[in-house]
Amino acid sequence: MEAAISSEQHGHAASHGHHESFIRHYIFSTDHKMIAKQFMVTAIIFLFIGGAFALFIRWQLAYPGQPIPVIGQFLPSTWVNDAGAVTAEWYTQLLTMHGSIMIFAVVIPLLVGTFGNFAIPLMIGADDMAFPFLNMVSFWLFPLAGMLMMAGFLVEGGSAAAGWTSYPPLSAVASTGQTLWIVALFFIGFSSILGAVNYITTVLNMRAPGMKLFDMPMTVWAVFITAIIIIIGTPVLASALSMLFMDNFLNTSFFLPENLIVPARDMTRTAGGGQPLLWQHLFWFYSHPAVYIMILPGMGVVSDVLSTFSRKPLYGYKAMVFAIVAIAFLGIIVWGHHMFQSGMNPLLGTTFMVSTMVIAVPSAIKTFNWLGTMWRGKMEFTAPMLNAVAFVSMFVIGGLSGIFMASTPVDVFIHDTYFIVGHIHYVLFGGSLFAIFAGLHYWFPKMSGRMYNERLAKWHFWITFVSFNGTFFPMHILGIGGMMRRIYDPTIYDFLKPFQPMNEFITINAMILGFAQLLLVINFGYSWFRGQKAKRNPWRANTLEWQAPSPPPHGNFDRPLQVYRGPYEYSSPEAVQDYLPQTTSPEELAEQHRHHQKRLEQQQEATVTQD
Amino acid sequence: MLDWLPENVSIFGEGVDHLFSIIYYISIAIFLIVNVIYITFIIRYRRKRKGEKAHYYHGNNLLEFSWTALPFVLFLFLAFYSDGIWEDIKYSSKTPNADVVVEVMGQTYMWHFRYPGSDGLFGRRDQKFISSTNPFGIDPDDPNGKDDYTTINSMMIPVNKTVLVRLSSMDVIHSFFLPNMRVKQDAVPGQWVDVWFNSRKTGEYEIACAELCGSGHYLMRATLDVTSQEEYDTWIDEQYTNVLASLDTAPAETNE
Repeated sequence: MEAAISSEQHGHAASHGHHESFIRHYIFSTDHKMIAKQFMVTAIIFLFIGGAFALFIRWQLAYPGQPIPVIGQFLPSTWVNDAGAVTAEWYTQLLTMHGSIMIFAVVIPLLVGTFGNFAIPLMIGADDMAFPFLNMVSFWLFPLAGMLMMAGFLVEGGSAAAGWTSYPPLSAVASTGQTLWIVALFFIGFSSILGAVNYITTVLNMRAPGMKLFDMPMTVWAVFITAIIIIIGTPVLASALSMLFMDNFLNTSFFLPENLIVPARDMTRTAGGGQPLLWQHLFWFYSHPAVYIMILPGMGVVSDVLSTFSRKPLYGYKAMVFAIVAIAFLGIIVWGHHMFQSGMNPLLGTTFMVSTMVIAVPSAIKTFNWLGTMWRGKMEFTAPMLNAVAFVSMFVIGGLSGIFMASTPVDVFIHDTYFIVGHIHYVLFGGSLFAIFAGLHYWFPKMSGRMYNERLAKWHFWITFVSFNGTFFPMHILGIGGMMRRIYDPTIYDFLKPFQPMNEFITINAMILGFAQLLLVINFGYSWFRGQKAKRNPWRANTLEWQAPSPPPHGNFDRPLQVYRGPYEYSSPEAVQDYLPQTTSPEELAEQHRHHQKRLEQQQEATVTQD
Repeated sequence: MLDWLPENVSIFGEGVDHLFSIIYYISIAIFLIVNVIYITFIIRYRRKRKGEKAHYYHGNNLLEFSWTALPFVLFLFLAFYSDGIWEDIKYSSKTPNADVVVEVMGQTYMWHFRYPGSDGLFGRRDQKFISSTNPFGIDPDDPNGKDDYTTINSMMIPVNKTVLVRLSSMDVIHSFFLPNMRVKQDAVPGQWVDVWFNSRKTGEYEIACAELCGSGHYLMRATLDVTSQEEYDTWIDEQYTNVLASLDTAPAETNE
């Protein structure tokens, strides 16, 4: 019923052929598809910024103290020294901002902002989000926050430099950059919550007639569950940020113990009573689930892509849904595994270890079900499929390396080493980013109305895949060797000296990886305007978005929808073709069969007369 | 990959390394199983002709159940096996009696080490006495503290003895990392945490800071000297003589 009401509101503009002004259409748009594209473009810009930070970090680690080639001498003296090499101060700012930007301004906006916005209404047959205006606000808070965070580089004292986790007391040493970081994260939290409220309401109320919850595609399920995690976790982060802000400015001491001496600040005595570990609990209560915010939608997208291009029903659909719910639930109660060496009571280490180990179970369910989906399929290796296949394999590596950290005694050694850096990049790059690439290519025809260039997309995939592994796999070895993360110059330590060639190898791969991403932009940029025109359903997929024109107009669908079945009826014996859209009615199906029968007879006649 | 681990000289390090290798081989096995299946599927189930139908199959509950139950058993086993070692390392009830106690205080960007001196007793310390010249906050009125001595960025311990480290920080969070001892523990201001280890081998090892503590974080390096008991005793005596000498030359500071 709600769908009917809102379709009246939006149908109005569309049916009158109402012409929107440029600003209304491209900038302050309330159309979920435009907002999705805005999220996409903004996040990809941030991807390049965050990636550039990583390359500066990598340069320093491979060639400590050597000038950055070409651009080193042009960078401001607060960033590089006279020779043009990265300074230790700038290095800590870079690593902080690399993490913050990539997590909050790239991966979450792409997975949740772009896919959530683009796919949810289209995949459930709604004409827009439940609250289009909130949706617009949710987008605009995000570039604002991103720029605020980045503005730190321009203020005195530089940007935030306490790591993306910003553990106090280090982060409670007030600097303008740190304050900007806190405020920016606050805005991003708001943006997430507004988006999440929208997704939950839209999914619950605006599904097309006939669509039950268990008829929803995995992408919708995944973003829906993710939205619930966001609603639970984000307010906790927001309260932690408020407390940190007050510690910085109002002389409270939520996180500062008594008699703290911080030389960098004229703080020789704090009133005290605070606990640095409190921040870690609050922060990880949000940020551990955030890891799942950054992978669950990816799992959803990959499930859809794998099923479509294997031409097979998703193996164990319900188990897949329950696995997502289980991961979300367990994800919320395991935050303490980031704190095994933090000085928390070791007894808690035991409990958090057991719950963390259990997360491997739903993850295994997902992996095996993906394999089951491919079993006896008829796979087509298009660019989305290649990226989805890579996702599964990389996610397995990321998951397995996670077991090392889950095991408390092993974590004693590898905590805060490059093993963690390797692990998180297998999950967030090998996992999330490959899923993002899969989804971006998969929906590109629907977003732009044109096809991307398949050859270029495959080049992008293969270069990315190879250089990704060359970059992040050796990091596990660095970690096993004991190389601490976040150190500016590993050659200070004797036991790390043998790893210098490996650091150089990683850096070369990282450069290739970084520049390979230009292929994606070139492909998308060119194809968006010059690509071959896309058909309504180029992948012969079942889900509802492919029933809309490419690209869908404001209001999405040009005919009424009725859902008859689940989203994964590929190769169903009921149908003539190897797919069976959710909207095909039994009558249409019968008609198709009659038609098919007639064609077969005609063919037979033709062969008979030929003989 | 296991060869890359730094040499282990600590007693409980063997257990940790053993666990590490168990998880490593389990991971390799799972990775191989999954990827062999995966690559087989990729090669075998390619679409060759257009319009070809795939196998129409929605799943199998028995299979679903078995690949839920198997990992569950496996990971629960790993959790309980790990916990045994974890308890030995971290639970205070399982910590062996210490032969040597050293207090360690992190300060951006150095490590302070404090030894109890000839009487074997640490002087009382209090947060309120902490200052940059008195990092441990030793109470100046406590006679037990008079002979305590501190070192900066260098720690000495006897071989084959249980060493208990009392750890804290005076400013931001640091992390006390001894790669060769398989020891890592955050040093948190306002709180004292005990860690122990026992080195089986003499030699010079490195101590690092593993938690980002500012832009000089990478410079926060100390050395750990593991020596024979005799050498250690000589060193202690030497330190003690120095402390006594300094006490003699500065009698005005004592209010006895």
